[in-house]
Amino acid sequence: MSALAGKELRIIGFLCNWCSYGGADTAGVARATQPTDLRIVRVPCSGRVDPLFVVRALLNGADGVLVSGCHPGDCHYAAGNYYARRRLEILRQFLPVLGIDPRRFEYTWISASEGQRWQAAVTEFTRQIHSLGPAPKLEDAEPLVRVADMALTALRPLGTGRNAALDELKAAIKAKLPELDCVIGWKQGYDAAHAAPLFMRTEADVDQLIWGPLNVSNPATYLPSLKGKKVGIVVKGCDSRSVVELLQEGLIRREDLTVFSMPCEGTLDMARVQQELGSYRHIDSVERDEAGVTITADGQPHRFCMVEYAQGKCYGCTTPGAVLADVRLGTPTPVTPAEATPPELALLDGMSLGERFSFWKTQMERCIRCGACRNACPMCVCRDYCVSESRDPHWLTQEDKPTEKLFFQAIHALHLAGRCTGCGECQRACPVGIPILALRQHISRAVSQTFDGYRPGMNTGATPPLLGYAVEEKSIHEREWK
Amino acid sequence: MSNTRFLTADALSGAVAALAATRRVLIPVRQPAVKQSVIFAPYATGMPVELMRATIPPKEAVLPQCETLISYRMLKDARNPGSGSRLELDDTPQAEATVVFGCRPCDARGFAVLDRPYLKGPFADPYYTARRHCLTVVTQTCPDVESTCFCHWTGGGPNSAEGSDVLLTAVADGYLLEAVTEKGDALLAALDGTAGVTDGTDRQEEARNARAAVQALLPAAPDLATAPQAVAARFADGDFWEAQTAQCLSCGACTYMCPTCYCFNITDEGDGVERPGRRIRTWDTCMSPLFTREASGHNARMTKAQRMRNRVSHKFSTYPGTWEGAFSCNGCGRCVSNCPVHLDIRDIVLAALNGRQGA
Amino acid sequence: MRIGVFICHCGSNIAGTVDCARVASLAASFPDVVYATDPMYTCAEPGQAAIEAAIREHRLDGVVVASCSPRMHEPTFRRTVERAGLNRYMFEMANIREHVSWIGKDVEANTNKAAELVSMAVAKLRHNRALHAASFDVCKRTLIIGGGVAGIQAALDCAEGGIPVVMVEREPTIGGKMAKLDKTFPTVDCSACILGPKMVDVAQHPNITLHASAEVEDISGYVGNFTVTIRKKATYVDWSKCTGCGECMEKCPSRKTPDPFNEYMGTTTAISIPFPQAIPKKASINPQFCKMLTAGKCGACARACPSGAIVYDMQDELITEKVGAIVAATGYDLVDWTTYEEYGGGRYPDVITSLQYERMLSASGPTGGHIRRPSNGEEPKTVVFVQCVGSRDRSAGRPGCSGFCCMYTAKQAVLTKDHLPDSQSYVFYMDVRANGKLYDEFQRRAVEEYGTEYIRGRVSRIYPDADGRLVVCGADTLLGQAVEVTADLVVLAVGVEASHGAARLAEKLRISYDQQGFFMESHVKLKPVETNTAGVYLAGVCQGVKDIPASVAQGSAAAAKVLALLSRDKLQGDPQVSQVDVKRCVACGKCLRTCPFGAIEMVSFRGQDKAHVIETACQGCGICTSTCPQGAIQLSHFTDNQILAEVNALCQR
Repeated sequence: MSALAGKELRIIGFLCNWCSYGGADTAGVARATQPTDLRIVRVPCSGRVDPLFVVRALLNGADGVLVSGCHPGDCHYAAGNYYARRRLEILRQFLPVLGIDPRRFEYTWISASEGQRWQAAVTEFTRQIHSLGPAPKLEDAEPLVRVADMALTALRPLGTGRNAALDELKAAIKAKLPELDCVIGWKQGYDAAHAAPLFMRTEADVDQLIWGPLNVSNPATYLPSLKGKKVGIVVKGCDSRSVVELLQEGLIRREDLTVFSMPCEGTLDMARVQQELGSYRHIDSVERDEAGVTITADGQPHRFCMVEYAQGKCYGCTTPGAVLADVRLGTPTPVTPAEATPPELALLDGMSLGERFSFWKTQMERCIRCGACRNACPMCVCRDYCVSESRDPHWLTQEDKPTEKLFFQAIHALHLAGRCTGCGECQRACPVGIPILALRQHISRAVSQTFDGYRPGMNTGATPPLLGYAVEEKSIHEREWK
Repeated sequence: MSNTRFLTADALSGAVAALAATRRVLIPVRQPAVKQSVIFAPYATGMPVELMRATIPPKEAVLPQCETLISYRMLKDARNPGSGSRLELDDTPQAEATVVFGCRPCDARGFAVLDRPYLKGPFADPYYTARRHCLTVVTQTCPDVESTCFCHWTGGGPNSAEGSDVLLTAVADGYLLEAVTEKGDALLAALDGTAGVTDGTDRQEEARNARAAVQALLPAAPDLATAPQAVAARFADGDFWEAQTAQCLSCGACTYMCPTCYCFNITDEGDGVERPGRRIRTWDTCMSPLFTREASGHNARMTKAQRMRNRVSHKFSTYPGTWEGAFSCNGCGRCVSNCPVHLDIRDIVLAALNGRQGA
Repeated sequence: MRIGVFICHCGSNIAGTVDCARVASLAASFPDVVYATDPMYTCAEPGQAAIEAAIREHRLDGVVVASCSPRMHEPTFRRTVERAGLNRYMFEMANIREHVSWIGKDVEANTNKAAELVSMAVAKLRHNRALHAASFDVCKRTLIIGGGVAGIQAALDCAEGGIPVVMVEREPTIGGKMAKLDKTFPTVDCSACILGPKMVDVAQHPNITLHASAEVEDISGYVGNFTVTIRKKATYVDWSKCTGCGECMEKCPSRKTPDPFNEYMGTTTAISIPFPQAIPKKASINPQFCKMLTAGKCGACARACPSGAIVYDMQDELITEKVGAIVAATGYDLVDWTTYEEYGGGRYPDVITSLQYERMLSASGPTGGHIRRPSNGEEPKTVVFVQCVGSRDRSAGRPGCSGFCCMYTAKQAVLTKDHLPDSQSYVFYMDVRANGKLYDEFQRRAVEEYGTEYIRGRVSRIYPDADGRLVVCGADTLLGQAVEVTADLVVLAVGVEASHGAARLAEKLRISYDQQGFFMESHVKLKPVETNTAGVYLAGVCQGVKDIPASVAQGSAAAAKVLALLSRDKLQGDPQVSQVDVKRCVACGKCLRTCPFGAIEMVSFRGQDKAHVIETACQGCGICTSTCPQGAIQLSHFTDNQILAEVNALCQR
């Protein structure tokens, strides 16, 4: 149904049954005049409001969404609104990166007795939505193409791992191999310029192990599917954060795991390397020196200096060494801690809301929904049961519209809120190069800013912020409806 | 004129524009990003025409990612709602005259692979048929060879005309277009009168030489004649498939980028009352566990090893078994280069052939 | 499905601003709707009968009623459809009264909105499933928290009804505030004389177990099966031996111990029995003032005790009780009036609270029933009563009326004249609220027979003059002039708030509370005794201000609820609980982490870990559903698809 033409905008309210729905009733009983635009969906608790309902509504054409629950401390279910507060706050901060005006979404607390407050909230929110006007539709967005600038300054030295203690590492793995079902590492891929994951079961397998800037994939992705087995894993610093996050969430068991690590000196952005190499028949050689890699293809040398060709995530990396390891080899890489905005995120930061909307529409048009982003993600443990493909719940249609594709990305990002370690596998895996990492980076920044600099995957004992709550939230300041 | 035309290098855009005046012309379009991709998209006035290898094959021309099979509405008499509702549906296939311009021989051979089940099988698919009959394929013979190319393993090659209507070969200062089917003849005829288009008979020799030079760049191919039997013989060898697929992530990149994968899913979206109902057909991938999940919850292929076995067996054993030995793999190599973990189907086939076990 | 839609006119309540017939005709075009009509009063008997008839005639398998709030009539209509053979969950409501007709006058917009709300309800209903409740055993015992008059009444009624009662009282004696009162309005009968026998009944009733000096530490479980942990605070006296003889008090050297029972108007001993009629009549030691416990030397009480009951090394004890129902009757405390700097902020000894005045009036109180100025012990000649201190005061954040102050002030004025015939009382008041039985008559007597001067106005300032008397400055808003009264004693009618610690208890009980800390009842009018947590009931002032008769009535009401609940051998659960789709669950455990009720456990299902909902513990909040990334755990009746259906009904796609 469309909103009443010319008069109303489409505004949806999710109200908890006990407080806010009662508050709306109280306002009605008091004959408190309100704008007619809002339609209320009754839910048992604000904690039941999956942020995805809000995104779904906004992408489907809602002009505004209001969520209201019991005041903190008054939840009928003791803590539902505490969870809701964290999730909805992160959602509020997430919406702009999609290009959705965050003023189209508000959450608040209204008790069953606060009819007047409800009246004020509805009136003000409706006025706010009318002042914004009808929400733009993704389908109508103008095309916009922008490409992230990859010229960055690294927080730590970038090199090629030329002097890595690979032989010691192989020896260490061979020593542990009898106790383990397998050890995951890297081998040469389909040519010498590409690496592929390696599953080591025999000493001969171990001899195939390689280390260096070509080892781009994150071996932690395989760990949840190997739960219950004794597994060894060779990690870069970023991979180790995925391991820690998996441990934080109890998705793997520490006692089953042996972690081997060497300091990472950065990995190559294979997308740009591939671009430079162009079409080639054969890799003649791959030579490494202190500063970079020289790949000779069909007799033609190509020079890849690490400071220019590292993956975007490597520049801002502050954990080149593993956060957690059983066997550490090599000399740690020094880091100068500082704030760094990843290039993909910087690209989005530099756009207006409308530009972002256009940008994503253009990007999503070429998505083929292969699911590589999801399946390459070490934290996507439901991959076989992803809600994107189910009918119950039926979050997405199977249509290949940009809205559905963008909604899938929103699902992935919101499910990763407070869990994403920024390994970038989603984006690296994308065969058509959609910079989807920016969505995860944006939500990670929001989580970090809201929860005291929290970084996932740094401490096995830490509770992921959206799986917990605090009675008093230091950095969440709800709007007062006066 | 003969069934060849010569196009000066400058005339390429004009020729595409001329074709686009009366039909949809899909050309490879560069998608700017840090990681660039090239995707077939409808030509629009002013677009540069660059003959690049496409990241995604042009199979969308006949098998879109998503197509509406049936649109339907449930009609009700609101004055007498109890009388039930009447179904109004439209299942007319949507097809328009289309040219795929500038795909590679492996892509074109993909259409031949799709044609067998969709056109020549016991049930011709009306939607595919409608699109296929409207389609003309202009294939660029390969000007180069890549490390992931193995078309010649599977019966193709940089000059293969299978699935094509017109072959386009780069020659000095221009392109030679050679029609290989009647559709191709018609397409070339449609170009007549366009600036820079002349008869190309005298350039055929040059084109043949250019193609032979590229052909010579390919390394020797292994003999896959016994691959159907060798892969089939591995069917029950669980350890083989486990070892070969350990690194697989179970995503669908390989199948969605494959010019020959043709599996689909059908879903109904919308209730047909307040929102128009659509029965849509979308690409599906056998690498997903959902592909074989039954309504009971039982899944015939729970593990990725079983799924990979299916994919490889289909391409190298069961499809050839059904269709007179033709592989349903064209050796384009997209699944190798675009796999997030670079799993190499060549290794699996060779391992099956050579009796190797490990990855 | 075959859905029937009923658009209620609610007389003119809805039909006044909504074109109900038009909504019904629009609804007829909605999916699966086979019957739509617009009755005058759907909830009335003929309206309900019409629904039942329509279900049968049109073979409906789902019903939507668009009328008032589901918080009002959802249970009514669920029973209606159930009578006609439908499952009660095959019913949805659209709220077109409180959310439409009552909040706007634009008929076109209202009609459109009503139709959309109906379409949302229809969309949801199409995803509804029949739900069936599981039944479980009931523990036929009840916990009563608080031993004031409301708790006492509830305990006695439950006990008489055959239900064993566990009563927990924070103080060393039951009796609550009423035990501190001298007389009660409007009959001016002796508070102790009417409450005392009830307290004795509590002590003697075979069905009542009393834990005084005890607090509820933790509550787990659910209706019918609560497990309560009670902290019995160390009293340093073995109550099984203490006979209440009082020998210890005679010998205790710490005679300057503050006396909370007397509202700190006098002192008591470190070991003491709060008052002569205390129940239980047992001594306990205030460890802060006991020389033995603070300095390690004394032992006078141990030597004096004839039964050897003194235990200086006593520790708190935790005991566990299983109960099926809980009554909260935790009463109230006075607000902290010392924030009123204009009244001296607590620095003037002759400005006292009304409850302190009660103790002064009481024959068993610190002055033996004589009215004395605390500053010098003299009888006051002029007594000023100030009403609404900490009540009806928005600037202090206390907008509510404390309810009973008007009446007890009248009573205290009457008693003042009785005690001191030469005295003159003044009452500064805002309004006199005397709406109970015989209340107004009583208040008039205070004015007409006892000569109490009522001055309508707030007191702006109280300050001592040179003679040590108190100058009370105020305004007489009826005469429109300033008033000053020089008083010997000022009695403040201090407002009430929920008992200290009520909020903590509410969290343990998982019930809500308002800004003054009063517990939230389930429905302001229709469920004043129930809370939103099944099996937890309220009695007395903890729910809101009320006087003694109302508290007693609510105590009995709560007991009736307990008796009704526990009269059943089995209880039906609420089927609106979460369910796990074992096929989708990947055992990531996020639901376990976030469930506020510990209602999810990990079980082994065909060799794989799977989440499992403990149905009786699940309260139906749905936090697990919005937490589960794979949508494997769904809250029945509020599944993702049901809510999405409502969203999609509104938003085009």
